[in-house]
Amino acid sequence: MSKEELFAKVVEILTPYAKNRAALAAVTPETHILDELEVNSARLVDVVLAFEDQFDIEIADEDVDAVETVADCVALIQQKLP
Amino acid sequence: MSDRKLALVTGAGKGIGAACARALADAGFRVAVHYRSSAGAAEELAAKLPDAFALRADLAVPAEIDALVAELKERAGRVDVLVNNAGFNVNGLTAAMKLEQYDAVAAMARGTWYLTKLVLRRFMLRQEAGRIVNITSVVGSTGNPGQVPYTMVKAALDAFTKSLAQELAGRPILVNSVAPGFIDTDMTEELPEAVREALLARIPLRRMGTPEEVAEVVAWLASSARYVHGSVIHVNGGLYGG
Ligand SMILES: NC(=O)c1ccc[n+]([C@@H]2O[C@H](COP(=O)([O-])OP(=O)(O)OC[C@H]3O[C@@H](n4cnc5c(N)ncnc54)[C@H](OP(=O)(O)O)[C@@H]3O)[C@@H](O)[C@H]2O)c1
Repeated sequence: MSKEELFAKVVEILTPYAKNRAALAAVTPETHILDELEVNSARLVDVVLAFEDQFDIEIADEDVDAVETVADCVALIQQKLP
Repeated sequence: MSDRKLALVTGAGKGIGAACARALADAGFRVAVHYRSSAGAAEELAAKLPDAFALRADLAVPAEIDALVAELKERAGRVDVLVNNAGFNVNGLTAAMKLEQYDAVAAMARGTWYLTKLVLRRFMLRQEAGRIVNITSVVGSTGNPGQVPYTMVKAALDAFTKSLAQELAGRPILVNSVAPGFIDTDMTEELPEAVREALLARIPLRRMGTPEEVAEVVAWLASSARYVHGSVIHVNGGLYGG
């Protein structure tokens, strides 16, 4: 999967959790998930579960600590993909 | 993922845990019979329950909990009910108790928390359903001399039940404690006769409970209860009402 495809897929997964629709419409790799997309931190675990299910990978808690932006998600998933 | 709902019962080789495993099997669950040292009893029990299997882990060791959850994923692919029954006690007066003894008892709070966290993360949050039952104890509410670390752990687990229930707001995953009083198992066998007599005098029903009498409440919480959440349910023959 190309980086662009992965980015699109990540945005699709984030979409139902993003409360700031304007930020979502203007999303770039640098968009911050909590601060800009306004994903509720209590729902972050659902996003991680969706990543795991969608890409058939396992994400450790420590990995999640390093994730802030959409690009961070793409990088993390890319690194876990076989 | 199998269609059959799976119930994991920790410390299910004997005592209250074994009774819970039997009651949950009767209620239609496939049961994962967890044990630490009671391998023979756990294997024997699992062989008697339809489709059940036994699996080992020392809940004081996080890596063994990781392996337990991986094994569950492999063998069942789901966990619908988690009964945190395993418990450990060292009797002794505080001034004479060693730090290692405290740690051995306290490890059960950490192990229960970690197993629950992983079961939520790996199964229940994904399934968007689940029942968690923590077996605590009346002494977590009343206190008990000679069991300071044990009562601390049990009170902590009741707080765990309440906090987790609030944290899971909006999700159909129910969390409750069942707090037994004095139940006839290995844990209470060692009570000196005089202590036992004094205890019975304080129990309105004038007898100890049986593991089955605790298990039927656990099975009800796991299969029928729908609006009981974040509660501590006392099962103690009237010794303490909460
Ligand atoms: N009996 C009572 O009057 C009473 C009253 C209130 C609450 N409770 C609670 O009910 C629960 C069951 O107790 P019980 O009376 O049935 O006593 P029990 O027969 O002594 O059972 C304790 C169970 O905990 C397991 N366990 C202990 N340490 C463990 C560890 N580090 N890792 C994994 N498993 C561990 C044991 O597994 P292995 O045997 O395989 O090592 C055993 O199956 C406990 O939480 C206890 O505190 C009992």
